[in-house]
Amino acid sequence: MLSLFFLILYIPAVMSSSSQMAGIYPQDPALPIGSTLTATCSVSPDLGLHASSLFWSLNGRRLPSSSYSVLSPTALSVTLPGLPASRQRSGDNLVCHNHGGHVLAGSCLYIGMPPGKPVNLTCWSRNTKDLTCRWAPGGQGETFIKTKYTLKYKLRWYGREKECEEYSAAHPYSCYIPRDLALFTPYEIWVEATNQLGSATSDVITLDVLDVVTTDPPSGVSVSRVGDLEDHLSVRWESPPALKDFLFQAKYQIRYRLEDSSGWKVMDDIGNQTSCRLAGLRPGTVYFVQVRCNPVGIYGSRRAGIWSEWSHPTAASTPHSGRVLSGSCDSKSGDSNSTLRRELKQFFGWVRNHAYGCSGMSIKLYDQWRVWMQKSHKTRNQVLQGDKS
Amino acid sequence: MSGHVKNMCPQLSISQAARTLLSLLLVAAIDSVSAGVVCRKQPCGSSLQRSLKLTKLIHKESVDLLKTYKVSQGDMSELFCQMSINNVPDPNISGLDPSERMLSIYSHCKAFLPHLKRVTEQQTDLQPPSSALLSKLSTAQNRTNGLANQINCIYQTFFPNLPIPPEPVDGPTSVPPSQNVFQQKVYGCVVLKRFKEFLSRVTRELRTLKSQVCTRRTSFADTNALF
Repeated sequence: MLSLFFLILYIPAVMSSSSQMAGIYPQDPALPIGSTLTATCSVSPDLGLHASSLFWSLNGRRLPSSSYSVLSPTALSVTLPGLPASRQRSGDNLVCHNHGGHVLAGSCLYIGMPPGKPVNLTCWSRNTKDLTCRWAPGGQGETFIKTKYTLKYKLRWYGREKECEEYSAAHPYSCYIPRDLALFTPYEIWVEATNQLGSATSDVITLDVLDVVTTDPPSGVSVSRVGDLEDHLSVRWESPPALKDFLFQAKYQIRYRLEDSSGWKVMDDIGNQTSCRLAGLRPGTVYFVQVRCNPVGIYGSRRAGIWSEWSHPTAASTPHSGRVLSGSCDSKSGDSNSTLRRELKQFFGWVRNHAYGCSGMSIKLYDQWRVWMQKSHKTRNQVLQGDKS
Repeated sequence: MSGHVKNMCPQLSISQAARTLLSLLLVAAIDSVSAGVVCRKQPCGSSLQRSLKLTKLIHKESVDLLKTYKVSQGDMSELFCQMSINNVPDPNISGLDPSERMLSIYSHCKAFLPHLKRVTEQQTDLQPPSSALLSKLSTAQNRTNGLANQINCIYQTFFPNLPIPPEPVDGPTSVPPSQNVFQQKVYGCVVLKRFKEFLSRVTRELRTLKSQVCTRRTSFADTNALF
């Protein structure tokens, strides 16, 4: 779309005095999408300009004179029917010019919608210490004008209403309450959305902080072989440190996958043990394993909490059938398989660069390298995808 | 000192203890404090070079800042920058000798700061919270404050006998009173355009000052420190 830009002479108008020399009414109005606006530009007689010599522009585009109306020698109006949503958050620029194109006055239009009722309000607590709430904007999800969201909360049976203060720039529809939360008593929580065209309030949710607890992933996850068993791996972990003393009935889940597969298998009948054996695995194969925790039974509560994030992947390989990897540092030795040879060369290079040396050679080191390769491959793919976007 | 001077003024013979005390006082004078800025004596060339590098960085960022600003105000914003507004610092550096010009740079930095702050406040209301414009404005303020402190210290080091630059007073006339949104857009454009032009002039000025103030053999600061 071509905008009708016009030639501008280099003599700037004096802005500070233009507020007395010329003005637009209404100034910075907010209007619903589809509204019709009639704005008037009034100029001081001292400028020596006649209204018929003025013209209007909206967002840099000159408006047709057929939409103008000379109200008086010093006042020119323009009518804008069916206004579309504002192009930018700072408002659309409706400007009154003299015949030479100089700016005499301007008004910023905010064309949008009143907010919809916020929906999907959910909250969770990390280790009972804090509360994070997230919601989604209601309606069409976009109001086109600045809309303020305020998360409010109060204890259900007593106490005064409070406002959440820590809003995230990264997540616009979330808020964080860092401290001073009561336990064993329900909160009422809701979100109010307000802009210049109206307001809306979400449904109120009621929760006890102890019912929405999540925690950190289990720490110290280790995966190891079970003797020479070709199809077994043993997984061990520790309770998340923050809730270690309270997680008597915590539940855990394990998921694992083949190194070159994206499909996870999940084991969720583990209960509150901190070890588990995986069976029925493929011999001579690298597996990635993750563990997560659900703080069930926190402070005696019978309710399930919220699953933690998965722990960082830990890799291990099942023994080969009848074959053992020999630890040679000579990258030129033996194998005629070019893929395996290339892989071994990469592995030995990595060992040398990380100063492990041949004395530290073990299958565990090999597994660590496989995990490292997987991660750096993922990062490279993300960078490539980022370059393409 | 020549013997002639000694004969003329025998009463100026100073005892060893007093000389030691004087030397200590001179060392203490190297760390001078002005309006909360602690300055340490720096080699002439490297201190100005550092300020020059900082100025180049802020100038480069100010070009991008102005571009980002215009985009976020919508179409027609190029026109806003060409308008004139009272009370916005002009970009010109004044003064005849190096000390006056250095003082002018310092004063201008300080004068721009409340305007940058006002633009940031206004744009905080006008832009979404994640707007890149807001973080760039904040960076510009921080760096300009840093540059002002550097210039302050260089001034004190090179011209210790001249009055310490007074802190400019943020009076009620230094930033405009409350403005409507359109006026805010214009104001911000004018401030950032003049800020960019000012930094361009400071870059040229610091190069000139470096050659004028820092000679190869003698440090101007050392000369001044000897009374």
